[in-house]
Order: sequence, then C-alpha cells, then structure tokens
Amino acid sequence: MNPNLLQSTPILAAGTSNAALTTFLIYTMAVFGLAWLSNRLMRSKSFLSEYFLGSRSLGVWAFALTFAATSASGGSFTGFPSKIYTHGWVLGLWIGSYIVVPICAMGLLGKRINQVARISGCITVPDVLRDRFRSPMFGLLAVSLIVFFMSFNLVGQFKAGSEILKTLLQDVDAFNAAVGWVAGVKSNIGFLRQVDADYLLCLVVFAAAVIVYTAYGGFHAVVWTDVMQGLVMVVGVVIMLPLAIYQVGGMGRATTMVAEMTPPRLGLAHVMFDPPLDHDFAVSSPWFLLPGESDGQTPRLFRISRTLAIPANQSTVEHVKFVELTTEEEINRYLQRLKREWGPDRFNAKLDELQDQGFCWLNDAPELVSASVIITLNKEYEFGHRQRGVYVSGPGPDPPSLPKNPGTLSVQLSAADTPVQIQVLNAEGKLEHARMSVGAKTLLALNEGEYELQVSADGFEPFSQEIKIVEGGTATIDVALAAAASGKRDALAPQSDGPMSDGFLPLSLAISFFFMWAISGAGQPSSMVRLMAFNSSRTLRRSIFTVAMYYSMIYFPLVVIFCCARVILPGMDLESDRIMPQMAVTLTNSIGQGWLAGLLVAAPFAAVMSTVDSFLLMISSALVRDIYQRNINPNVSEKTIKYMSYGFTLLIGSGAMLGAVNPPRFLQDIIVYTGSGLAACFLAPMVFALYWPRVNSVGCISGMTAGFAAHLAMYVGGIFVNGSFFDPYRLFNFSPIIIGLLVSFVATFVVTRMTAPPPEDLVRKYFYKKAD
Amino acid sequence: MSAPAPTAETGQFEYDPTFLHARKEAIIIFCVWLAGLIWAVPFCYLNGYPSDFDPENFSTTLGMPTWIFWGIGVPWIVADIFTTWFCFCYMKDDDLGEDNGEESAISDDGNKEVVA
Repeated sequence: MNPNLLQSTPILAAGTSNAALTTFLIYTMAVFGLAWLSNRLMRSKSFLSEYFLGSRSLGVWAFALTFAATSASGGSFTGFPSKIYTHGWVLGLWIGSYIVVPICAMGLLGKRINQVARISGCITVPDVLRDRFRSPMFGLLAVSLIVFFMSFNLVGQFKAGSEILKTLLQDVDAFNAAVGWVAGVKSNIGFLRQVDADYLLCLVVFAAAVIVYTAYGGFHAVVWTDVMQGLVMVVGVVIMLPLAIYQVGGMGRATTMVAEMTPPRLGLAHVMFDPPLDHDFAVSSPWFLLPGESDGQTPRLFRISRTLAIPANQSTVEHVKFVELTTEEEINRYLQRLKREWGPDRFNAKLDELQDQGFCWLNDAPELVSASVIITLNKEYEFGHRQRGVYVSGPGPDPPSLPKNPGTLSVQLSAADTPVQIQVLNAEGKLEHARMSVGAKTLLALNEGEYELQVSADGFEPFSQEIKIVEGGTATIDVALAAAASGKRDALAPQSDGPMSDGFLPLSLAISFFFMWAISGAGQPSSMVRLMAFNSSRTLRRSIFTVAMYYSMIYFPLVVIFCCARVILPGMDLESDRIMPQMAVTLTNSIGQGWLAGLLVAAPFAAVMSTVDSFLLMISSALVRDIYQRNINPNVSEKTIKYMSYGFTLLIGSGAMLGAVNPPRFLQDIIVYTGSGLAACFLAPMVFALYWPRVNSVGCISGMTAGFAAHLAMYVGGIFVNGSFFDPYRLFNFSPIIIGLLVSFVATFVVTRMTAPPPEDLVRKYFYKKAD
Repeated sequence: MSAPAPTAETGQFEYDPTFLHARKEAIIIFCVWLAGLIWAVPFCYLNGYPSDFDPENFSTTLGMPTWIFWGIGVPWIVADIFTTWFCFCYMKDDDLGEDNGEESAISDDGNKEVVA
C-alpha cells in the first residue's frame, strides 16, 4: 500500500485545486453552450412540446443517458458511497434490485405511456391522466401532488448541489477570497447572518447555473447536459475501480481486512488550549493517541472529524466530534505506516510522549502542543459493536446518533478518590450514559432535554437528581455521596450493552428496498415524462439495454470501491459524506495524476445537476401547461406561453434557492418522504390507466388519494409511535412505500369494480384500433 | 383484465396490438423482478446473515464475500444477459403512432375528438 495515503489529504489541495476549478469552469461553459444550442433548436419547432418534451424525438443515447442520469441523482455519488463506507458489503443487497431496475423502470410502462401520450398529444404526466380519463379534476389532483412533493425535493437537491460544490472548491484560493467578500456582504443582511458564507456562495453559483441553462434551453438542454453528466459519472467510476483495487493490494485482501474490522466508537470531546493561542488556528482532522487500557496494550487511536478550528484567545472548543478506531490490526497498520513515513526515531519519541503525558497528537502543527482533550461522550455502535465480520455480512453495522444540539453536564464529586458509577437516563428511562469515574469532576455531553442523573458507589447511598440540559450550556451538579446506613451497598449494575437496533438492513428492509428501487422507480413522474420522449420502440429497446450496461458499470463497482475505502481511508465514519471526493483525490494523487481528481469530483456534481434540472422543468410544466393553458386560458398564444415558461422556471428555481438558504432540519428525510410519496400516488393509477380498459377516473382518483393517505398515515403514525414524523411507523416492519403502493393498487381496483365502466369511446380511443 | 362489454360498434374494432404486446412484455418484466426478489433476498439472508460470525468459515469468491457473489453478482450478470435477449430478441418494434400534437389534447376539453 502506498505510504503517502497515510495523511489526511485536504480535498483538492494545492495542485489539484486548480485542476478542479478548471474542470468546473469548463464544465459550466459546456452546459451553457448546450443550452444555447438547444434554444436555437426551439426556434423552428412548436415551443411547448419542444420546451417540455423535446418534440418526442430522443434517440438511444440521449434517451438512455437522460433516464439514467436523472434516476441516479446526487445520492448515487454522495449518499451511496457514504452508506457503503459506513455499513460495508451489505450495501450489495441494499441495491440488489438494480439488477432489474433498467428493465423495470423503462420496460414496465415505457412503450404504453409513450403510445398513450402520442394518441392525445400529451406532454406532461398530469396531461396523460387527464386525457386518458377526460377528467380535468384528475389532472389538477395530479398537478397538485407533483408541485407539492417536487418543490420540497427541489430544495433538498439545491442544498446537496451546493454542498458538493463547496467540497469541490474549498481549497481554491479564488473561491476562499470570494467567500471572504460574501461574508462581509451578508453580515449586513439580517436573515443571512446565520448562514455559512461558503455555503451561500456555492448555493447562488449552483442555482444560477442550473436555473439559467434550464430556463433558457428547456428539455433539450436538460437532456444534452444529462448525456454529458452521465458520461462523466461512468468515466469517474471506471477510473476509480482499478485504482482502488490496486491500492489495497487486491479485492480479496480488502475484503479480508474489512472482515477483521470492528465498528469504531463515535463521540464528542472538549479540546482545551492552555494557554490560549494568540492567533486563529485551524487544522484538518488531526489524529491523537491515548494509552491502551493496560500496559503493553495497543494505544487507543482517535481522529477528530472535519476541521478543528479555534479563534484567537479562546481556550476551549466544545463538542468536537471524533472517531475512535477499535480494530487492533487497523491501529497497528496505521502506526506502522506512520513509522515508515516518520522514521523510527521520531516515531519512538511520540510513543515516549504518550507514555509520559498519557496523551499525544499525531500532527505536526506546533499549536497543538498546548492542546489537550477531554472525552465527554464515547458511544458504541447500536448494532455490531465489538463484532468482527460485521462489515462483510448482514444486516450491517448501525452507528449511534450523536447529540444534534449538545450541552454539557458537569458532575462534581465530593468523594474524589472513590470510583463511582455515573448513569444518565433520558425522559423515557433509556440509558444515555454509563461511565465509571474517579476524580473530582466529570464532563458529559448530552443532547438538550431533561434527564435523570444517577450516581452510585460501593458503600454509599445512591444519588439521583433530575437535570435539564440546554444547547451550548453547562449544567453543574454537586454530588455529595452519603455513607450507606446499612453497611456495604453495591454500585448500580450497569445496564445491558446488547445491540440496540436490528442492524442497518434487516430482512424486512431488504425486501422493502427491492420494491423501492425497481418498482417505485417506475412510479416516479420524472421518469414517466422521459418515457414519453423517445422516438420509437426500437429506441426504447436499445435504451433499456444501454441503461442496464450503464448501471452495471456504476453501482456494483461503487460497492467495491468504497469497501476498499474503509481500508485506504480509516476513521472517516463521521464525515463519510465526503468519502467520494476524498477517495478521488487520494487515488489520483497516489499515481501522480492529481488533475484527474477534478474530473472525478465533477461526477457527483453532475449527478445532482441532472436531477435538479429535470425536476425544475417538471414543476414549471405543471404550472404553465397543466394549470394555466389547460384550465385557465386554453387559447393562450405561443408567445405568452414561451415567456411564462421562462418566467416560471426562473421563479421556481429562485424560490427553491431561497428555501435552501435556510433549509429545513430534516432535509434528507424530506427527500425520502417525497420520493416514496410520489410513487405511492402515481404508480397504481398509471399502471391501471395504461393496461386495464375497465378502469375509470373514480377508481384512479381513489387509488391516488388512498396511496397518498396511506403513505402519509405511516409518517403521521411515526409521531405517535416513534416521536418523529420522519421516523415513520413501519407496519409489519415494512417501509411506508410498500404500504402506500399496496393500498393504492387495492383501492383503484376495488373502487373501479364498484363503479360504472368508463365511456366506450374513451376505451376505444386508447385500447382499440379498427379491424383490418 | 376485461374490457367493457362489446357492442355492435366495438365489434368493428380489435385490441391494439401495441397495447397487447406492451402488456405481455410488462407481465414478463414483473415476473423477472419477482424472480430476482425470490432469489436474491432469501439467498443473501440465509447465507449472509450469520447469527454468530465465524472468521474460519468466512469465504470469498473473486475477492467478494461468497454470499454477495452468488446472491447479487451472479444474478446481476444473469439479469444483464436476460435484458440483452429481451431487448434484442423478444421485445416487439411496435408502431407507437403519430404525435397528435397539442390540438388533440386541448380538444378533449369538449370541442373536437381525435380517435387513434
């Protein structure tokens, strides 16, 4: 293995940062060029059909790659690698249904939806439903659901795009200078004061690029950029796969090493600088050592997550997140690599420092000499802790959640020399902290809320007190232990430390995900609208084959690459969302081709862009076509439609950008809710509308509303059962999408059977042709 | 799946072959998905979810855990072969019809009817 991999490489540092910037600029210029070409193409065609559907003229490559790139979304290149890194090989099963996703998502509905859309000249999904049943009310219901779900989703995608751009540019000098300028400007604008300057700048740049090219170029611009983005994604993976396997010394070796690993511990710490520094200081993800639990044992190895930053004259950074590696082989491997790089003398000096002071940093920064660490929280994994093999088997390890709004509890003990057992229970009586402690003062990190503190020691009466923790504050409790009246009293028995979850992917969830990707993927309106755009059955056939090959080249290789990442880049468990760019930089630097990193990091950016542009166009088409033209003013002129389309695309994009300035707290959960909600609403009515002549509008409207209600009910049930809307109730342990789909299919069928058949001429129009 | 009862008028019509082909293809695709589900999930669950992991019995095939190789890797290749056959040997090249344009869609609001 390459010893240079040892150090945590700042993403796109130094030479590679310029390459990244160049890649980004070339990329953006190409996108605008495609929008310009697309706009020229529109001048010779019917505006509405061209702008929203590309005149139903897509060929194999355009159709296949726009379908694949839109479905892939930003999640494939940020969330998915992060999950592989966190949970291991079980992600192979998590995406297992991708073996049939292309044929399901395109083949189940593709041919028929394209034919039905042609029969009535439809250009949007609500159009199809409205015309198929000659029901304006159904069209409006479909429009409302699309606008409702997709607007939320768009905000989330804008945030994801900005975060990726931030990762891409964070070490570029020109970018940092611009961030400084933005920070100055926003300090005068009230609602922007709390927003990070770098995030804000990236959001504006990302939004401006996407909104302008989508609004100006319309559907063809979106498709052409999707093709380019699709190619960038697959090239990225194809380059990374052999590099990753080579770096770890072969896939078998990587899997064997991953099999040895036990999940890390995750926690929070206070970092104290004594004396305080006289200047601002920041260091990227420093490592530190604590002595092993007994003499001669391997030291404990920790990595601070993200950047440790402290302003001048401040003495403490509170609630710093860290990862503690727990696999002895992994710690020894890291130390051996350090020894090779530093040389034995310097390495041994560090070990002496550890022995003398009981603590040492593994970074060069001289400022760290005055810094020490107090661990305030150190949590085991909720599933898989201390278990070998958990990364190569199901259901996969499940990490604990760290406090989102932490405060500190300071327990001051009167009997400083007595070992005491400290336990903190939350409002539901669940154990939050259990620690054996010796010393006058113990600091514990807790999420804001109310708790019960219990302290016990041999020979003393147990102590108990209600406490309240506020975010950023410190609650100090003086504990005066009284000697037990009736002789010796044992300390409280620590609570069981068995698994607290069923793991990442229990059987029921594995089944749910098999439904989710293949079946609910077919039910996404953004996929359906693409199925209306290809030019012939022949194109559909070839595109299904192309997308199948494309997905095979992306998804399974990603599992391999990021299982290797566990070996190459240890300790990134709390910043695994950055694992993709970090791997790109590490792998390309190791072969001396840092410029490639720019291209690889562009892949996730491309993925988000290709999803955002199509969602943007879907919402504006819903408003312009489905609401205005079809319900308010059917005789509107093409010129008015044109300006309205430009205007709405701009307006919606800008609205989503403003929403993403202060995104809602549960953003990722909202994306999951909207994606599964759309499928629960649209799949059953569309399947029946296309394949069952007997179905009527009442049945389909019932199916759509029942699917929406059942899916929503699972989330509302989550409030009562799990205490949060975004932790949905799982009936029989299944995901809400399965319940929503099931209810929607049953409701459509039953209500149709109970009501009158549809008009004969309508059935004839969509299902029959004249006999020869 | 049944259509409304045939009348004298519908007697002059027959099911659109594109609809019939698309429906048949959709049923086959659904069966393929079901076959994938029935193979991949139980196989992985029975072979890849040990109650107690034993490093001695852990095996890899081509560098990946054996349960992933047989549960996902091999089915992936089989699915790709099936997809290739389905796309190039089975799926029909049907006539999807002409795009009737925006006028047809607007006509459904009550004025003009276009029948395929």
